[in-house]
Amino acid sequence: MFEGPSPRLSERAMTRTTDDELIACWRDEPAPLLPVLHAFHDRDGYLSDDALRAVAHGLRIPLADLYGTVTFYHHIARIEGGKQRPRVCDGPVCKLNGCDALLDQLAPEGATAMPCAGRCDDPIPVLRGDEFLVGRVGAPLAAEGTPLPPPNPGGVTECCFAHIRDAGRASLAGYRASGGYEALARAVQELSPAELLDLIDASGLAGRGGAGFPTGRKWRAVAEATGEPKTIVCNADEGEPGCFKDRALMDHDPHAVIEGMALAAYATGATRGFVYLRYEYPHTLRILEGALEEARAANLIGPGILGSDLHFELYLRRGAGAYICGEETSLLNSLEGKHPFPRNRPPYPVTHGFEDKPTAVNNVETLVSVPPIVRHGSDWYAALGLGEHKGTKLISLSGDVQRPGNYEIPIGLPLRTLLDEWAGGPRAGRSFQAVTMAGLSGGFIGSEDFDITLDEPCLRAKQSFLGAGGVMVFDDSRDMLEVARQAMSFFAHESCGKCVPCRIGTQRLTERLAGDAGPRDTELWSAEVHDIGHTMMAVSACGLGIAAPLVTESLLRYFPEQVAARLEQRT
Amino acid sequence: MSDDTNGYELSLLELDGEELKFRAGETLYEVAQRRNKDVPTLCYDPRLEAFGACRLCVVEVDGIRNPVASCTTKAQAGMVVRTKTEALEKHRKTLMELVVSENPEATIDPLRGMASQELGVLAERYGADGSRFQGKHSGSSRPDDPNPMIGRDYDHCISCYRCVRVCAEQEGDYAISIKNRGFGTQITVEFDGFLSDSACTFCGQCVQTCPTGALNDLRARKHEDTPGELEATRSICPYCGVGCSVDIMTKEDTVVAVRPAMDGPANEGALCVKGQFGWEWIQNPERLTKPLVRKGGKGGELVEATWEEALERAAQGFAQVRDTHGRHAVYAVASGRAPHESAYSVQKFIRAGFMSNLVDNCSRA
Ligand SMILES: Cc1cc2nc3c(=O)[nH]c(=O)nc-3n(C[C@H](O)[C@H](O)[C@H](O)COP(=O)(O)O)c2cc1C
Ligand code: SF4
Ligand code: SF4
Ligand code: SF4
Ligand code: FES
Repeated sequence: MFEGPSPRLSERAMTRTTDDELIACWRDEPAPLLPVLHAFHDRDGYLSDDALRAVAHGLRIPLADLYGTVTFYHHIARIEGGKQRPRVCDGPVCKLNGCDALLDQLAPEGATAMPCAGRCDDPIPVLRGDEFLVGRVGAPLAAEGTPLPPPNPGGVTECCFAHIRDAGRASLAGYRASGGYEALARAVQELSPAELLDLIDASGLAGRGGAGFPTGRKWRAVAEATGEPKTIVCNADEGEPGCFKDRALMDHDPHAVIEGMALAAYATGATRGFVYLRYEYPHTLRILEGALEEARAANLIGPGILGSDLHFELYLRRGAGAYICGEETSLLNSLEGKHPFPRNRPPYPVTHGFEDKPTAVNNVETLVSVPPIVRHGSDWYAALGLGEHKGTKLISLSGDVQRPGNYEIPIGLPLRTLLDEWAGGPRAGRSFQAVTMAGLSGGFIGSEDFDITLDEPCLRAKQSFLGAGGVMVFDDSRDMLEVARQAMSFFAHESCGKCVPCRIGTQRLTERLAGDAGPRDTELWSAEVHDIGHTMMAVSACGLGIAAPLVTESLLRYFPEQVAARLEQRT
Repeated sequence: MSDDTNGYELSLLELDGEELKFRAGETLYEVAQRRNKDVPTLCYDPRLEAFGACRLCVVEVDGIRNPVASCTTKAQAGMVVRTKTEALEKHRKTLMELVVSENPEATIDPLRGMASQELGVLAERYGADGSRFQGKHSGSSRPDDPNPMIGRDYDHCISCYRCVRVCAEQEGDYAISIKNRGFGTQITVEFDGFLSDSACTFCGQCVQTCPTGALNDLRARKHEDTPGELEATRSICPYCGVGCSVDIMTKEDTVVAVRPAMDGPANEGALCVKGQFGWEWIQNPERLTKPLVRKGGKGGELVEATWEEALERAAQGFAQVRDTHGRHAVYAVASGRAPHESAYSVQKFIRAGFMSNLVDNCSRA
């Protein structure tokens, strides 16, 4: 009933050579298109027309469709040698760190820019083939491991990060040394799925990937939905600029992800799972593959887990470069090999997900939170939050601050405590001007509003949201209009193009921020920007288009003088 | 619970203040259509799965924060729906201004295709004249595509994906696809090639569903300057036995286009390349208008003759074959290009004249 373990994604091209062998290696696996494309991409260093013909024929996909779908993904090279050409992150923080100079430096190798690659706490990330490197202007590229979270600021109880700094934590033995997989053992031996669902409900755990949907409710909906097999998808696409927490979790604590998924499977009755990992994390792919093999060998994944009748098969799938593929329905289309437009909802994935079967899509952090909750109890987790808030949230902090990095905060922590006490305040001689929220999707919070606490109700009242927890800091030396332009051009670059308001709106807003088009008069300019923004927020087909105008709306709210002064200069 | 006797649910929803029953699975747009609400759309084609691209069809539903696309939202019991409010109309105006801003001009000749006026009509209704939201235009046209039937003026494209969907869902050809994303979206075919090198069968479905004339009927467009009102005459395509309903489009005495009939019982808006594009010969100046006979029998030169002469010669030929080889030696094949009346005459001629059923049509499918 269960297929054997998938071939390793990171090695598939080395042992199979002909087109037919590559296709045969994946054709009967679930969600085969992305791995087949990567197999050809790895073998040839690009995807040739002949490769596309072979894949279309082998997987019975119309050639025109496949051609179009391939062009959707940023990282699939269509010219010979393209895969090896360096891609340099030009995300918001890397812009501050000199990525433009690094791009010039690597121009002889054919370097191009890529959107935020999820390493904003460190020198500029550079992807060269399957090497994940870091670059500093004027220095050779170097291979450096993912930074660990900074030390616990003291006296703070952590959930996700409690053991991440332990030596050897990424191995099965290291994970088990501090209680790893005890939660899974306890669940399958002592708890019924219904009791596990009650526990997750009571903990108050909500989605940490952006939308904040209560995890217990999502799992219950999958458990109660008809249709099989059910699926758990770990959303490891982490495409939001300024977010790099999932990478830290997966690189340093991969077994926590696997255990969280197995628990989700037990609670929902799912028999298969996928990790959908962003293309930009090739090293993470190898780490997860190693951990999965260990887990399978130890009977933690596969049939009859830990002697119970839990059967759960887990597959790793690698994305190909598209922020929208982090949106859960676009992700599902991508997994299924379809054009990765988001789907219309309802129906939701909990009833009509992967291959139209009930599916729970959960963020890495959400899943990693589950094993400690099962071990320590729902009350323990709920009490980690401040005031009426329950639990913790990972914040990826970056930009103009002394100690950037991933911090696990009690939900409800004052922003100033994070910025000044935990992260050491602004750079010497500088003061804070603004932070972003939810990576870029929550727009800006100007320093006049820094008395906020980090929780959804407080941030919603400021027309923003916590989302995936990326906070980028900009000090008084920064040009906020330029920051906003970069942010909007990211959304324009990543808009899938399905719906009119976002496809055209992100473009028009970028042009207005850049001064490439649009009225010069401040009033007319603002009217156009507001009208586009309001319509995008109200009627866009998915969260990307709904959130993108928070950038322009918050720019106009906090920095009207900077806008007016720039428009003045332009006339 | 559905009521099987009439297919309507017993439960109700409220649409613009009116209590309505609805069928299980019906969308809000379909319910609104039944009540003749004028909800604007650009990406909608009733034959296709609702897609939700243009967002013009948004309606307000009590209890849901943002307006929802009525084309993709299923009616549910107890919903309170508003199809036209000041806020909705403002969003629709902004959407129309955005769409108009990406293209050269919204007004184009109706001969481009059946649905080609949809954009222009809505642009006019919402006063979207191109003055707001100016900026870069989207889409690159393919004047280099040498096919003589389908124009590919993607600079007029608004990325509604009706062409892609009709080709896949109705025609089953999957010839058209979507390249790139966001504002860089481009309707294309495999490897950006020509239509004739793709899986396209030139059925013209994409042309007829395109709401902007971006995809257009090149043969019809030759008559953009032909004087006269555009008129439609309902007929049946003569090319094969399916019997697709068509509208023959004329300007005075000139045939200027053929269009599929959406209400054609056999085709429901579909046609194939022959019915759609194979009509120009009707007005070809090289068509014979006088009978020709061979001088000096077989192999001789063809010369003009009178109808009497020609019919006499033909009758002689038929009679000779019948007398020599018997009546079953005559087999008639009527031309698919001939009018229905001629096809009828041919079978009458064989059945009554030779007392046989040895008659067929060249494109019997
Ligand atoms: C444009 C867009 C991008 C998203 N990217 C991600 C992502 O990279 N990772 C993620 O976990 N969720 C992402 N989400 C949210 C997912 O759609 C989904 O809500 C989430 O994966 C559910 O998991 P959770 O309930 O555990 O948070 C994104 C949403 C949108 C609209
Ligand atoms: S809002 Fe943007 S990303 Fe989302 S469906 Fe519309 S075009 Fe695509
Ligand atoms: S003419 Fe027909 S087959 Fe060709 S692209 Fe258009 S819809 Fe597809
Ligand atoms: S070519 Fe026409 S039908 Fe196709 S997407 Fe563009 S506007 Fe729509
Ligand atoms: S008709 Fe509903 S979104 Fe276009």
